[in-house]
Order: sequence, then structure tokens, then C-alpha cells
Amino acid sequence: MIHMHNVSKIYENGAVALQNVDIDIEKGEFVFIVGASGAGKSTFVKMLLREVLPTQGSLVVNGRNVLDMVAAEVPYLRRGLGVIFQDYRLLPEKTVYENIAFAMQVIEAPRREMQKCVNNVLDVVGLKDKYKCFPSQLSGGEQQRVAIARAIVNNPQIVIADEPTGNLDPDTSWGIMDIFTRINKAGTTIVMATHDKTIVDTMHKRVVAIEDGRIARDEMEGAYGYED
Amino acid sequence: MVMKIRTVEHFVREVFISLKRNNWMSFASIGTVAVSLLILGMFLIVVLNLNKMAASLESQVQISVYLQDDLKQQDIDRIEGKIKDFQGIATITYIDKDKALERFKERLGDQKFLLTALGDTNPLPNAFEVTVQRPDFVKTLSESISQIDGVESAKFGQDVVEHLFDLTRMVRLFGLGIMVVLAGATVFIISNTIRLTVFARRKEIAIMKYVGATDWFIRWPFLLEGMVLGFLGGAIATIILRGSYSAVTARVYDTLTFLPLIPEYPFLNYISIAILISGTFIGALGSTISLKRFLKV
Repeated sequence: MIHMHNVSKIYENGAVALQNVDIDIEKGEFVFIVGASGAGKSTFVKMLLREVLPTQGSLVVNGRNVLDMVAAEVPYLRRGLGVIFQDYRLLPEKTVYENIAFAMQVIEAPRREMQKCVNNVLDVVGLKDKYKCFPSQLSGGEQQRVAIARAIVNNPQIVIADEPTGNLDPDTSWGIMDIFTRINKAGTTIVMATHDKTIVDTMHKRVVAIEDGRIARDEMEGAYGYED
Repeated sequence: MVMKIRTVEHFVREVFISLKRNNWMSFASIGTVAVSLLILGMFLIVVLNLNKMAASLESQVQISVYLQDDLKQQDIDRIEGKIKDFQGIATITYIDKDKALERFKERLGDQKFLLTALGDTNPLPNAFEVTVQRPDFVKTLSESISQIDGVESAKFGQDVVEHLFDLTRMVRLFGLGIMVVLAGATVFIISNTIRLTVFARRKEIAIMKYVGATDWFIRWPFLLEGMVLGFLGGAIATIILRGSYSAVTARVYDTLTFLPLIPEYPFLNYISIAILISGTFIGALGSTISLKRFLKV
């Protein structure tokens, strides 16, 4: 799914974000990316989306070579990836239903599938009765669920979540993790950057720790390993 | 690129939402496009009419061949023969000095008493009036004719025609200068309007990029918005121009019948099409500039 070899990223101002990173993530894995702020987690996530290009190395995501890609190919890379952010990024003037359907509209998905797919993912995230609400009428946890629904409505092979529980209280966070677990069980690869020690320690999934742009640890069924 | 009907629908809806959202800027953009294109249209109409006048004057002209005094009848016959031998001569008529004077009197009408000052002398030369088959022959033929022995001079209305051409050139140059300035201003205003739209939609654009919308899917609504602004401005200019040209031609036909204006139809249709296309193009250019600068896809 994701094959990163000897990847480095040096920004134009000389800041070294990643250095000689090697990592392979296979289909159906659930991976936590942990590390202090500024350690390179964000760069790692942005690279998968090709928002940031590696300075050197090779990166293949979903069988697509990210470095050799022409600009016109980028949208098709991203259609295979579902993205979730800490701040939800919903459109305030659209309802829950419209926010999710928007992701299908803009890739010109067939209309007759739209209603079925949106209802399906609303079911997955447990918001079927709130489809008419606007984001401002929802709690943070509910908004994040809408964002998850939007990320998975186009059936991506990989879901990338950048601090998805960062703005949520522990109970709500567990609700979100529950959804991720179910999506993962259905076969979707999950890559989640997080600071949340409790979640990482409880879930016993693969943990990749990034320190100063290098992979410091890569453990199956690992733990967070830092003091908060 | 084949677009799905639903996609086109989506684009059209986006454009109207956006026109409504920036109604003041939209209004200003449409207004500037209208003013610029109105001026462009006026210059176009004036220049084309001047061209037409020059052309019709040129086609009407005949060459007046003035002969030297005291030629014998056989010299005159020889000259007539030589002129007839040229290619492209339509007719040739001999006007002797007496007939010329008579015509002159006729033309003066009530003022023919002025000629009494001349007494018995007749200052007019013998002449041939030559018409040609095609107007563009006039110049070369009159030059050739003036070379013939015994011909004093051969003239056509070259001064008038050349002055008219000079005027046309000046109007065209002036019009072009104004147009460049106005087109620049219009493109600037439209690109600003589109920039506002891009700014208002930056969140949507970001999400569209993350879920994998293609660049053109993102760009089209903005491009379309610029084109609609330009087209609407062009439409206003067209309506005003059509109304005023009709009014002007009606006036001219009543009072200055000899002025050969271009008839309204189909002339106005061509002008309208040209203006609508320019408006749409200016709009597209304005939004392209804005997208290049503000929409990083």
C-alpha cells in the first residue's frame, strides 16, 4: 500500500523534516504515527497526499509512484486516500448530507449511487438521523464523524487521519476510534498521526515513532512510549 | 473533454450562487465591460463606415483627362485611341471646352452671373471623361493616361479619397489606443471579482483537492463566472449600440441622403456577435489571470 524508501525532506529554508525514512505499510494495517510536535509527523502525512514532495528517495502509494507523478495524476492518487483532520474542515453552509455528497459530486460519481453511498456511510458513523443538520448544530465528535463519513464515502483503500481526536474529550475520542476499528476490519488501511497516549497504549496496534525526522521505533502491537 | 450534464449543471449553479454572493463586484464588472465594449463598438462602427465611404467614393470616381490647348482634331482622336487601348476602360466621353462651360453654368445655377466676369473667354480645357471597370484601376490608369503626349493632366478624386483614408487611419489608431486601456481595466476588474470568489470559496477548494477533484473541475466554475460577467457586459453594450445605430441611420437617411452609411442589417448582427465574443473573451482572460495567481491546484 505504502512503500517509502530512503525518503528525506528538506524544506527550502533548510529545515530537515524527514531523513532517510524507510517504511512499508501493507493492506489492512492499522498504524499509529507518534512523535513530538515538529518531529515530522505532518510532513509524513502530507507526503502521502503529495502535498509535499520528498527531496530524495522513492515513495509508492496505492501502486502509484508519487515522485514521477504528473500534476494531472494527483487527483486520482487522492481518490484512493481518505483524509481526516483535527479541525474537521466541514463546509458550514452545507448540511451533513450535502457535506458528504460533496465529496462524490466533485469526482463526478454517478448520481444514482450517491444517495445509497451517503446513507451507507451515515450508518457506519451513526449519524443517520442527523443528515439534515448543519455542522454548527453538531457537537465536535459528531462533526468529526461527518468528516470520517466524507473521507470514506468514495471507498478509499487508505484512510489518513492527522490528529483526529486532538480536539475531542476522551469519551468522544473512543467513539471515533471505534469507527476507525470497524473501517479497518472491513479491509481499509488506516494511518493515524496522534498525540493520544491512552488510545495508542490501549489499542495495541503498530506504532511508528518519528523523532527529529527519523524513524526511532517501529513496533507491532506497540505503545506510545513517551510521557505526555 | 466530454462533460457530464450533471457536472455542467453543477458549474452553472456555482456561477449563479457566486454572482449573487458578490453582487456589487459583479455589477461593477458587468458595467465596466459594457462601457469598454460600447466604446469599442462605436469605434468599430465609425471606422467601418468611413471605410465604406472611402470605397464608395473611389468606385464613383471617374478620371478627368484635361488636354493641352490648341491640339488639332487628329491629335485628340489619337489620344482617344490610346486611352481606349488601355485595359479596364469602361467608357470614354469627349467634352469640349464649350460643353464644359455650359455644364459649369448649369452647376452654378442661380449664381451663373458670376461667369459674366469672364467675358467671352473660356478658361476651361477640352477634356475626356473616363470611367473604369474596377475602382482599383483608377490610380494606375490615371497615371498612365497622364503620360500620353498632349494630355495636360489626368485627375480623379484622389485628394478626397486619400483624406478619408487618413481620417480612417487616425480614428482606428485612436480607437485602438483607447481600447487597449479599457480592455486592460476591464480584465483587471474581472480578475479582482474572481479573486474575491476564489477567496470566498477557499475552504471548498481545499476540500475538493483533498477528495481528488481534478484541476479543471475546480477551475471551470471560476472561468465560467468570468465569461458570464463578460458576456453580460457585452450584451448591454450590444443593446445600446443597436438602438443608437438605428436611430442615427434613420436621422441620416432623412437629412443627409447622400451619405452612404452601412445598412443596419446584417451589419449590426456582425457587430453584436463580435462584441459578445470579445466580452466573453475578456472575461475568460480576467479569470484566468486570477486563477493563475490565487488558485494553487
